[in-house]
Amino acid sequence: MSNFSLSSKSEQDIAIMEPKGYINDIGAETLELASEQFLGNGIKKLIVNFSGVQFINTIGLSIFLSMVQKTLEYHSLLCFTNMKKDHREIFEMAGLMKYVKVFKDENDAFSYLNRRS
Amino acid sequence: MSVRNLHLKRLMFSIGSLIDLGQEATSSKDLSAKMKAALYVITGTLSVPTAALFVYHPVRKDLDLIIGKGTRDRNLQKIRLNAKTQHIKQFTMNDPHMLRDMADTAFFRHNQEAFAKLKAKVFLPLFAKEEFVGAITLGRKLGGIPYRQGEKDVLRIIAHQMAITLHNAHLFLELAKKAEENRRLYKNMQRIYHDTIQAFAAAIDAKDGYTKDHSYRVASYAVAIAKELGWKKKDVEGIYIAGLLHDIGKIIVDTSVIKKGQKLTAVEVNEIRKHPQVSYDILSKVKFPWKDIDFFVRHHHERIDGKGYPDALQETELSEGVKILTLVDAFDAMTTDRPYRDKLGLDETFEEVMKCCGTQFDVRITKTFFNLLLRELSGEVKRPQILPHLEHPDAGYFAETQSDSDM
Repeated sequence: MSNFSLSSKSEQDIAIMEPKGYINDIGAETLELASEQFLGNGIKKLIVNFSGVQFINTIGLSIFLSMVQKTLEYHSLLCFTNMKKDHREIFEMAGLMKYVKVFKDENDAFSYLNRRS
Repeated sequence: MSVRNLHLKRLMFSIGSLIDLGQEATSSKDLSAKMKAALYVITGTLSVPTAALFVYHPVRKDLDLIIGKGTRDRNLQKIRLNAKTQHIKQFTMNDPHMLRDMADTAFFRHNQEAFAKLKAKVFLPLFAKEEFVGAITLGRKLGGIPYRQGEKDVLRIIAHQMAITLHNAHLFLELAKKAEENRRLYKNMQRIYHDTIQAFAAAIDAKDGYTKDHSYRVASYAVAIAKELGWKKKDVEGIYIAGLLHDIGKIIVDTSVIKKGQKLTAVEVNEIRKHPQVSYDILSKVKFPWKDIDFFVRHHHERIDGKGYPDALQETELSEGVKILTLVDAFDAMTTDRPYRDKLGLDETFEEVMKCCGTQFDVRITKTFFNLLLRELSGEVKRPQILPHLEHPDAGYFAETQSDSDM
């Protein structure tokens, strides 16, 4: 059974996604689909809060890769918050960090995004 | 992160990817989910946003796209890559081919348009035991970074693993297809077998216009009782076959005797009484998948008081199947027109059977049969098995008597 869940919401023009558990299975594609749906609905500022993420493998990385690709296509902003050191290292190695903004927590990400038009 | 540390991390990450791939390849997911996960392992490992997995169709000589990732074009699922035998011979097994190096090949020219749609930069042919089973196309790496040699090495290992998984899945599908084909053939043979037996039964009954469909009705009634008694499916099937063939021995009886409207002479009675033995002689040579068919037909004129024929067996020597056939054979004879008399109504039939219950017919079987018939008459039974075979059943008295006697 998949040890992954996702809660998501949008506040004004910002979408917040909170994945929980292991991002190591194609079941976690819901994260990619959710971001695609927000972008499709015109929300171009996305936050992913990693506080509940326990583990990311290459399948998970592939899902984030697609998210990055989509945000680039939509000329939108993707922010990561509450990242652990090992999450950060994986994303750095995969070259993803160049395309996302990383913040300590959601508040910081909000402040940054609210300043952006 | 220092360069040395980064190298080490990358190596660890690649090893981790291979472990992920191994887990996916051996998981219990269906092939499509397994392959999708494997493709994601590759794209995640190499930071490639677009990729596609193809399965080779050896008859059509093309590669069917089964999983695509990272392209928004919905028509991608219809993409097929042409892969003729001479093209495949030019591929290096499980080796990533940069498409720019293949620009002069016929394979590239044939599929140039598809590669463009897929945004493909790398073509990875998948071979398992030297057999071409599929391919992967990979797009540009994130940020346009070139593929490193180390990544190509990882791709080689991944390709080998995926090829084996695809190959095994193919073998499994082939096996499943063959099993399904065998099942269909078996069903067909079973149908032919049943049809042949039905044809035999029809041929037996056709000796006499009066006994038309007699065997079929006997078989149907016997099945109804057997089911009531909770017989197993296979045994129910067996009594049905026995019912259809119980009179096969009548082929040796002269038609004039069978059709005779007057009382039979002693010689004629003797001749007609040979048919259970002849039925047995014929059917005991057939290796049926059901048990005791030959004994059922041999003894269908035995009686529980030991006065039947051909063996005058005692009640304890008669099987339940024999007792069923004995009853339903007589029941059908009573409820259909015969050369020597008109058919009896249900009331008369019931009286006749009850007269012989405990001497000719087994009490429990008789009770089971008439209870079922009663329930069918009262509309309790959704799918009646006896009534449809009876013409104009007049059951007033029979129904009342049945209720009174609480059979």
